[in-house]
This record gives sequence, structure tokens and C-alpha cells, in this order.
Amino acid sequence: MRKFASAWILALVTGSAILASGHLAGAADEYAYDLVHSSVSFKARHLDISWIHGRFNQVEGKFSLDREDPTKSTFELKIHADSVDTGNKARDEHLRQPDYFDTKQFPTIDFKSTSTKAIKGGYEVTGDFTMHGVTKKVTLVLKGGKEIEWNKKKIVGFSTEVALKRSDFGFDKSAIGPIGDEALIIIDCEGIRN
Amino acid sequence: MPDPLRYLQAMGVAAIVSASIALMMAALRRPLSDAWRNSVSVLAIGIGLTLGCHWLAFRWQWPPANGLNRLLMLVLPAIGTLELVAGCSAKFPRFARLAPFCLAIAIPRILLDGSVYLTPAGLPVPEQPLAVIYLASGFPLAGSWWLLTRLSQRASGVAISLTIPLSLALATLCAGLSVMLAGYLKGGAAAFPVGGTLLGAVVAAWLLALRFDNQTAVIPTVVVPPAVISAGLVGLFGLLFVGCAFGRLPPGRAAVILLAPLACWATEWRLIRDRNPWIVALLRLILVSIPLLVALILAKREFDRTMAPLLGAPQVSRRSMSYRTDHAITQPQVPQDFSR
Repeated sequence: MRKFASAWILALVTGSAILASGHLAGAADEYAYDLVHSSVSFKARHLDISWIHGRFNQVEGKFSLDREDPTKSTFELKIHADSVDTGNKARDEHLRQPDYFDTKQFPTIDFKSTSTKAIKGGYEVTGDFTMHGVTKKVTLVLKGGKEIEWNKKKIVGFSTEVALKRSDFGFDKSAIGPIGDEALIIIDCEGIRN
Repeated sequence: MPDPLRYLQAMGVAAIVSASIALMMAALRRPLSDAWRNSVSVLAIGIGLTLGCHWLAFRWQWPPANGLNRLLMLVLPAIGTLELVAGCSAKFPRFARLAPFCLAIAIPRILLDGSVYLTPAGLPVPEQPLAVIYLASGFPLAGSWWLLTRLSQRASGVAISLTIPLSLALATLCAGLSVMLAGYLKGGAAAFPVGGTLLGAVVAAWLLALRFDNQTAVIPTVVVPPAVISAGLVGLFGLLFVGCAFGRLPPGRAAVILLAPLACWATEWRLIRDRNPWIVALLRLILVSIPLLVALILAKREFDRTMAPLLGAPQVSRRSMSYRTDHAITQPQVPQDFSR
């Protein structure tokens, strides 16, 4: 009787494992944005002779990767504009004002993918980028995507850079002043599989 | 970057256009009724303000996306409509009396629409609860509105009556400069066309009053149409509110600027009231200017402390300064390895 029960349990566990693995093989892997090991930074020209660097300290995001069908992969990023940090408190306060990010009115900068395709060494992700209340289609070339296991966690990492014109996103042209219109946004992120 | 010449041009355009329209429309109809003059003022202020903002390359965006857009595209047109309806509805005096108060309470909510103050899920809750913001801003507006309207209705001659919109224009310009000095250039710039339309309305009212004096020797019942006071006060309030809520204008300073025109009431004291009208008018303007000047000086000092270093000479950190000073005083301490 004991042997019979053991055989049943073994069969059940094996069957479940096979079913589960079969199911998982077709599903996308979900990752949460790892704030500790990621950064969203930017740089913009100052007086057209040098660069001013800054970063956003508070970012949220998630992405799902479908290894078999990359077109089903999705990426989302939410940057809290209020967390802008250029290493100068007065300038950060100024950047939060309505002439720039207007963080009380537009608290977040969002990216949500609408299409993804695999390219050599990563993914080409097109999506809606919303900043300052204006949404535009932006294409990001994400480099990376290799999953590693570290400390019993499955981690994947991506890097990308994108150049955006502030005037395209409703920033006041007269307030652009000595800081260049174009800003280079640099995103380096790691995701931990859920 | 701020462009003072452009701001002055925008103010001039708004003033000239609003004064010209008010005078032209007034010339079309005789005798002039108070309701007609009020309606003409609404039109003149609306067109003057639109052209003044256009001169500043203001970005008209529908639906209005930020507080300043909502002020210029929703709140001020609503005031104009209210004044037109109130002027036409002499049979419903209650509406004319109550509507401004309802609107005064609603204006803060309109200006804050879609902002973090209305706390969408997942976003940090602002420091002040919404009810406090509505009450602390709506009631001073309603109170100022009532007091200035009452003051303008007291028969006191042309010169004295004109000081009310003139005080509002001064306060509006002061508000604009304060908002700019607090770091919100575009919000402050909008004060120039608003102030310009008020100055235009003052000129038009003065010229019309002169015409009355010459032709009929009778002063019109209302020298300054209520629409001028309503638009001026709500414009002033809106700029200050937007400056506080979205910019960094301190609420205390905003309150001083908003309430400064009420200093005109001080001349209603019997001992002053019966003096030469020009002296009374001058005294009113001086009394209004004092708090405005104090507010401007404070704004400039704060600007010099916080914002000016961003625009001026590059800052050198204290550590590197002390390092240089130490080395200038003492002998250069070159590490031995490098000195060889």
C-alpha cells in the first residue's frame, strides 16, 4: 500500500513538473526594476561648451521578456521627476518648477513599450514616452538581456541611451537658456525575475 | 532667459489694445449705460490680454495642461462670462452677488486640476490637506472681491475711483516679478499682459470720465466697471496661486501682495476721505505700494541667495577655496615623490 501511494505521489509530482515546465516555456519572464543596481541619468549641454550631468533617484519599472517570441516582450518605466538630482540643490529646485519639469503638474516621466523586436545583442523597443504632459513615440535600443543567476536570484540587465529635444515635449523655448535643448538620457537597469 | 523688453512690449500691447477697444466701443453708443460699459470692458480686457499673451509667444494648449493655461483659458474667460451675465441680469441681483463667491471657491480647484495636490494613487501626498488649500485661498479671494467691489461703489470721484484698478495693476506687476524671482519665468511673465489690460482699462475709464465731465458735467454712476475689478483681482489671485502651488512663491508673500490693494480702504477714514481727491488718490497708491515694495525686496533678497549663483559667476566650493588659501599662505607642500 505504501509503495502504491509513493508511486502515485511521484507520478503526480513528475506530471505537475512536466506540465509546469511546458507552460513556463511559452510564457514571458516577469522582472521588477532593481532600483539599487540601476540608474537613469541625463546630460545636457551647458553654454554649448560642456555638459551638465544629473540623475533621477526614484524610478520604478517592470518588464517581461519572452525569449521565444520577443515581440511579446514589454517594458515599462516610471521616473519620478521630483527626484531630479544634479548635485546642486538650488538648480534641482529650479528644475522642478513649471518652466522645466513642472513636477507638481507632471510628477512622472513614463515609458511604455508598444512594440519590441530582437536585434543583435538586445532588443529594439518602440513605445510611448510621456514627459511634461506630452507623449511621443520613442525607439530605444536596449543592449543586453542576458540572464544570470546570482545569490539565488535571476537577474537580467539592459543599457540604452536616447537623445531627446526638450522643446518637443512642451518645454518653454524661452526658458531653455544656457542649457541645451537636447538632452541625452542614459538608462542602465537591472531586473530581478519575480 | 528673461527678456524685460519683451515683457514691457507685451504690457504695452495689452494696454493700448484694451484702452482702444473700450474707447471705440463706448463711442458707438450714447448715452452709456453701466451694463454696456461693463460688457465693453470684458471685451476690451479679453482681446488685450489675448494679444499681450500672444506677444509673449504664450503656448495656447487645449485642453489646458497646467495651472497657468487653466488661469488664462478657463478662469479668466469664466469671469468675463460671469460679468456679462451679471450685467444682463439686473432682474436677478442675487445671482450677481452670489456667483463671484461660488467662483472664488471653485478657482483653486480648477487651477490645481490634474496636479499632485489631487493625489493620484501612488504619488506622495502634499503637505497641506486640500480643504486647507481651498479655504485658505478661496476665502481671501472672495473677501477681497467683496471689499474692493464695495469700495468702488462708494461715490468718491474719478481720481479716487481709478486708484482701485491702478492698485490691482501695481499688485499684479509685483506678483509677476515675485513669481519670476522665485524661479518661474513664464508664470511671472503672464502678469505683464494682465497688468497692461488693467492700465488700459484705467486710461479708458479716465478718458470716458473726462468726456462725461466736459459734455454733461455729470460723473457716471460707476467710474470703474465691475468687470475691470473682477478680472484684475482674479488675474492677480490666479498668478499668485499658480506661483505658490507650482512655483516656489512663499504663501505669506503671496498673501501680502493679494491683500495690498485693500489698503485703499484706509483712506475711507473720515479725516482723510474729505480731503483733496488727488491727495487721497496719491495716499491710496502710497499705502498700496509699501507692502508691495517690501514683498519685492524680500523676493529679490531670496533670489540673490538661492537663484543668482546659478546665473552668475561659477561657484567654487568652500573646500577648494580653503585649500587654495592654505597653499597661498604656507609654503607649497609638494609630495616628495613628485618633487623629485
